[in-house]
Amino acid sequence: MPDRPPAQTTPLYQALVLDHQRAPRCHGPVAGHTHAAESVNALCGDRVRIELCLADDCVGAIGFTGEACAITTATASMLCELAIGRTVSELADLERRFHEVIAGDVAEDAVLGSLNALRELARYPSRRLCAELPWNALHAALTHPTESARS
Amino acid sequence: MSTLLRAAEPFDSARYRADFPLLARQIHGKPLIYFDSANTAQKPAAVIEAVDDFYRQHNANVARAVHTLGEEATAGYEAARDRLARRLNAGSRDEVVLTSGTTQAINLVAYSHALPRLAPGDEILVTQMEHHANIVPWQLVAARSGARVVPAPITEAGELILERFAALLTPRVKLAGVTHVSNVTGTINPVREIARLCRERGVPLLIDGSQAGPHLAIDVQAIGCDFYAVTGHKMFGPTGTGALWARREHLAAMPPFFGGGEMIRSVSFDGSVFADPPHKFEAGTPNIAGFVGLAAAIEYVDRIGIERIAAYEQELLEHASAALRAVPGLRLFGTAAHKAPVLSFLVEGAHAHDLATLLDHEGIAVRSGHHCAHPLMKFYGVPATLRASLAFYNTHEEIERFVAALIKVRRLLA
Repeated sequence: MPDRPPAQTTPLYQALVLDHQRAPRCHGPVAGHTHAAESVNALCGDRVRIELCLADDCVGAIGFTGEACAITTATASMLCELAIGRTVSELADLERRFHEVIAGDVAEDAVLGSLNALRELARYPSRRLCAELPWNALHAALTHPTESARS
Repeated sequence: MSTLLRAAEPFDSARYRADFPLLARQIHGKPLIYFDSANTAQKPAAVIEAVDDFYRQHNANVARAVHTLGEEATAGYEAARDRLARRLNAGSRDEVVLTSGTTQAINLVAYSHALPRLAPGDEILVTQMEHHANIVPWQLVAARSGARVVPAPITEAGELILERFAALLTPRVKLAGVTHVSNVTGTINPVREIARLCRERGVPLLIDGSQAGPHLAIDVQAIGCDFYAVTGHKMFGPTGTGALWARREHLAAMPPFFGGGEMIRSVSFDGSVFADPPHKFEAGTPNIAGFVGLAAAIEYVDRIGIERIAAYEQELLEHASAALRAVPGLRLFGTAAHKAPVLSFLVEGAHAHDLATLLDHEGIAVRSGHHCAHPLMKFYGVPATLRASLAFYNTHEEIERFVAALIKVRRLLA
């Protein structure tokens, strides 16, 4: 069985990740949101709720709330920043690219911007679920229009 | 050397530590501190070599071949039963059923003993501190029979409230299942007192001994329970090994759980005649090499002496409890008067998984999560905790390094 590689060029908890954890961007509820959903990590009980305004298939205002670990919080913060102005199909493409990076299939992907800071998750398969949680919440939100928006 | 003389010797953990090859590993360039023994214990060279030797020198199937290797394999496998019988102080080796672990042992009792006796409205009494392995099997048989699983409450310190347990032992209760030692809080339950209460009301009692095996001297006859389950991998043996001890009359009355080879006397299409207990419950080819390893593990621990191990571990527990209490913002879950060296905690403002990953970078292995005890997590109102669980191969110096590392990584997240 191969040992986990000992040398780490950039640690998982690098400055950028810790910065987004300490001062998350797009943090808080979104007044007048059209879509919202919450996802829960069954392993630890962490929860992320994403609220957003979708107009002409394009994400406008977006925000997240919830209780979560540093990896989840930083991912949610970076993801919400990146999502502003994107279409639903662009977000699906970004999600696919993000999975490739955290699985270690590609070293990094310029399109993902700050989310590349999570690339070290390739060494921590058990923590990938933490970074996937905000994506799951976004995914669910996009298919869950809020009651007021439907009418 | 007499036990008295040995008891007077200081516990030489460095000497025993050297018996565990894995403990010499470096993790992220730092010496490993393994504080996850409640999850699974590390194995001494004696166990690793016994398994290796079995496959190199003695491999054959058990209880069916008359050739020399078959006799050797059977003797090695049955030696585990003898070792376990002595370790548990069973009245007879025939009361020890070899299983894949505690989970299989409890499921055997659930399906073979409990299910045929359960009727709608009946209850199975457990406690709020049980591992899922001592909850879910009962729920499964309860769902089939119309019975229900009732939890007995605990205190904030993590101790079973005995009066409440006694009050819940109504005539509806057909079986009680209680852990000997909590895998989350380390609480050592007063199992003799619990067994007395159950006997007075004629309720069969199963004790989940998963976490007691590595830490305590176990005497099933003195406890006075009906069933006692242990798992080998927490007792420094291989994974996939364990045992159910049960009173002879229970085993005799229980139908087989699995059918197959090894558990029969004769088979015809008109019907089959089963072997006597315990073989009646051991269908198919077992984990022979694993049990050879488990026998070696029990022999290894017996040479050191479980009482000496328990005394040393109490020193470690006191040290670790005091050191953790000095960490700012740390909340300890489980402060029972009688505890095994298991410490669950959270640090204010830091997530359990973040701390566990950062501690791993310091070479320290601790568990984070719900520890397969959702109801207990709910009781404490937290989704997850960190857990440091120690064994006799751990040292006071490791505790100091662990607490220093915890303070260091906590600062990173602040």
